[in-house]
Amino acid sequence: MDLARYAADLKYLLPEMTLLAVAVIAMFVHLFGGRPGRRAAGLVVLAGLVGTLWLLLFAPTAPGAIYSGALTVDAFALFVKIVILVSALLSVILSFRFFDAEGYESGEVYYLLLFAVIGMLFTASATDLLSFYVSFELFAICSYILAGIFKKEIRSAEAGLKYFVLGALSSAIMVLGMALVYGVSGATEFSKIAAPALQGDPRLFTLGMVLFFIGLFFKVAAAPFHMWTPDVYEGAPTPLVAFLSTAPKAAAFAVFIRLLVTVFGALEYKWTVLLSVVSIVTMFWGNLAALGQHNLKRMLAYSSIAHAGYMLIGLAALGSRGAMAVLFYLFAYLFMNTAAFGLILFVQKKSGFGEEVDDLNGLARKAPLVSAGIVVLLLSLTGIPPTAGFIGKYYLLSAAVGQKLYLLAVAGALNSVISLFYYFRIGRAIFMESDRPERVLDVSGYVRAVLFVCIAALLYFGLFPSGLSFFATLAAPR
Amino acid sequence: MTILGVPILSLITFFPLLGMLLILCLPAARIGAIKWTANIVTAIEFLLTLALLGGFQATASGMQFMEQRNWFLNIQYLMGIDGISLLLILLTSLLTFIATLSSWSAIKDRLKEYYAFLLLLEVGMVGVFVSLDLVLFYVFWEVMLVPMYFLIGIWGGERKLYAAIKFFLYTLFGSVLMLVDILVLYHHYGHTNLLTMISSGSRLAGTVQLWVFAAFFVGFAIKVPMFPFHTWLPDAHVEAPTAGSVLLAGVLLKMGTYGFVRFSLPLFPEASYAFMPVIMVLALIAIVYGALVSLMQKDMKKLIAYSSVSHMGFVVLGIFAMTPLALKGAILQMVNHGISTGALFLIVGIVYERRHTRLIAEYGGLSARMPVYAAVFLIMTLSSIGLPGLNGFIGEFMILMGTFPVSWLWTAIASTGIILGAAYMLWLYQRVMFGKLDNPANQSLADLNLRELCTFLPLIVMAVWIGLYPKPFLTILDKPVENIVRLVHPEYYNIPLQKPPTAVAPSHGAAAGHEVK
Repeated sequence: MDLARYAADLKYLLPEMTLLAVAVIAMFVHLFGGRPGRRAAGLVVLAGLVGTLWLLLFAPTAPGAIYSGALTVDAFALFVKIVILVSALLSVILSFRFFDAEGYESGEVYYLLLFAVIGMLFTASATDLLSFYVSFELFAICSYILAGIFKKEIRSAEAGLKYFVLGALSSAIMVLGMALVYGVSGATEFSKIAAPALQGDPRLFTLGMVLFFIGLFFKVAAAPFHMWTPDVYEGAPTPLVAFLSTAPKAAAFAVFIRLLVTVFGALEYKWTVLLSVVSIVTMFWGNLAALGQHNLKRMLAYSSIAHAGYMLIGLAALGSRGAMAVLFYLFAYLFMNTAAFGLILFVQKKSGFGEEVDDLNGLARKAPLVSAGIVVLLLSLTGIPPTAGFIGKYYLLSAAVGQKLYLLAVAGALNSVISLFYYFRIGRAIFMESDRPERVLDVSGYVRAVLFVCIAALLYFGLFPSGLSFFATLAAPR
Repeated sequence: MTILGVPILSLITFFPLLGMLLILCLPAARIGAIKWTANIVTAIEFLLTLALLGGFQATASGMQFMEQRNWFLNIQYLMGIDGISLLLILLTSLLTFIATLSSWSAIKDRLKEYYAFLLLLEVGMVGVFVSLDLVLFYVFWEVMLVPMYFLIGIWGGERKLYAAIKFFLYTLFGSVLMLVDILVLYHHYGHTNLLTMISSGSRLAGTVQLWVFAAFFVGFAIKVPMFPFHTWLPDAHVEAPTAGSVLLAGVLLKMGTYGFVRFSLPLFPEASYAFMPVIMVLALIAIVYGALVSLMQKDMKKLIAYSSVSHMGFVVLGIFAMTPLALKGAILQMVNHGISTGALFLIVGIVYERRHTRLIAEYGGLSARMPVYAAVFLIMTLSSIGLPGLNGFIGEFMILMGTFPVSWLWTAIASTGIILGAAYMLWLYQRVMFGKLDNPANQSLADLNLRELCTFLPLIVMAVWIGLYPKPFLTILDKPVENIVRLVHPEYYNIPLQKPPTAVAPSHGAAAGHEVK
């Protein structure tokens, strides 16, 4: 417990430390670099993300609990961190395109995004109520700012404020839940809560769990705590939505899984029901509401709600490889969502981007290759083979069937059919509607590159899922 | 058996994919090159499937040309064929070739995408018939949906958007239910290898088996399509381009009945037996209702679409009669229906391409202007209504013969379908072909050209061959059908040879009827 020990533990935090250093450098580049410094800050951040990803993939530290159990560096955290970093990386590239097209560059986006990433990385390894809450709020506050950062656009400001107010409220509820859990158990470390808590008042413990979950439901946009999602996604800058709709969910699901396995493991019979109900409601709500949307961003917002519902299936069925299914799905979802929001940035109109489904009309004639890729993306979103989305859904439903949650599995399967209807409105617009001339397609190559990476990943992990499945199985806590 | 080092089943499954990639690489302006490539690829694919006959052992029991590799977790890349799949694969590759050839002048817009989707469709269709792992089967089953959706939605008729999404939604609804079923089976057996599942002898427990059977049944019944799941069919058929209709009727509908034969009967024998009366009633409704609705149609394509409902009703009847004779007849009838209905859709496509209308009232007296066309149409009409000497007769006759020992009443009701079938088809022929050539628009209709005739010739040859000498087709069905009946209806084989007739125990009295052959 001495300083030397704490200093020694720092080596586990090399990725986070690197990112922190990069963020500070980027901040200074932005401050003193004048106008060119803004883009330069972006490039610094990009390099930092690539470097950190390299560190995680090729020089991972040995697993272990550090700082008296406040943080745990393990394969599970590693998996989630990779998802978060890849999401940030792709969003930064998309941001280049976005700010180019808007004729406006904001250096602060890049390092704010990096601060958010740092918060998420800590969240992924957090195994203590306090370390969890601090890292959780770090990324939450950064994401409120990110949602509202596009000052030219009034909708962005609205999005930021809405996200902040509702986010703060849900955080407050979550803190209350944490307080109850602490009150019952007298411990903050995840692994030490369960035993004393079960001796205490079960009603308080359960209430604490439910309140705790509400905060997480909010973050993953599960019904009925999803109300902010369409407004925030519609208002926030599109490349940041690609990030905000993916990485925070990954971080929140990571904590969720850790909590379910350690803290609330004994209450499984309770949370299975709770999560099943929330999952079913979320899937149906998200998909049914998406049916009526003509704005792509709102449609994708509801679709991301539905996807959160799918992943909740895995949580409800945690006992039967559910965690592995959620991890796999998170990985697929990362590429699906980034590509979907990238598609919006691909099409530019006189004012702003092609945010309406109609703006995609006849795209197949102009950009056949991208359109073919979009078909793969739509299949993956719907959960049709041979895509990663299908394999992910296969694992999720398989987990549900394995736990004999047949109703949940059938609901998840039926939601594929509902979602097909609106996803393929996009396919219909691209392939079957007549052309609409007044638009410019992305010429910078940023969006094409991101789309290519995402769609190649979706196809690759759909056709050859065994490697990723193995990694996800290894990473899933047991 | 390998060709150029590639195992043959993988080769025939993925060869069209290669062709598709080739077409995608061609510039869109090179129309001739695209058409030729597509036609050559489908022709080679047909020859490759013919090569299967070289190594196929007609009398062997079990799967042949097996390929087995691990895919992920306990899911295998498992392929193999028996006589049933062989016939359907040959049908698929033949019809795809014909469909491609028939599109030569019919499709004028976005050729590159059109042929690419057509070839992708072939990958899915062949893949379905060779897969023996449930998840692999499911993957190909779904792969098929996408190109068909686009074929209908881009190159279809006036209501193409509606028809395309309706087709997609219906089929996906059926298949997601199937996916949940596959998962239930996976958790029961620990893998999704169909052969091991069957040979393990373990079956799902009572109620679960009923539920899983029912969900599989809905998935397949939508595809067949059986009454009351058939409503997508007329829309999809009417709006689809000719080649789409040919493949839809010729191959895609067979996937449902193939699913019954390959999965439902062997995996859920008890449930199949329990559901038999319900399915029989649905099949009979389909036979009679489909025929009656056909009688009333003003649109030629719609008429043939509803006639498919009726004909596929026969196939389902034959499958769930669960006697070897009826089952063999049903499988043969799947091929027959592919040949005759595929040809009928081509026939409608010929005049549609010239006149851009499918309304029966627009035509009349065409035989005067188009004698060759009239002859082809007549042969296929007769094949469809089951005239002895042509293929339709053999299949329907075997189904009815095989169903009779199970229930004479069902057989009698089904027979009315044949009479009604003759009525609507001959009436259609009469209205289109005979009478006065009084519509001025029809005065200058051209007869079949050589290419169009070439699309029909193989179908006519097959129709006559199966009609006159069906033995080779039935021989390769013997073993697989026997294997299935042994699983699902073992009493059939217990009685006749092992015991003298007098020794039949009273408890077997009900089953004794089945031995009539």
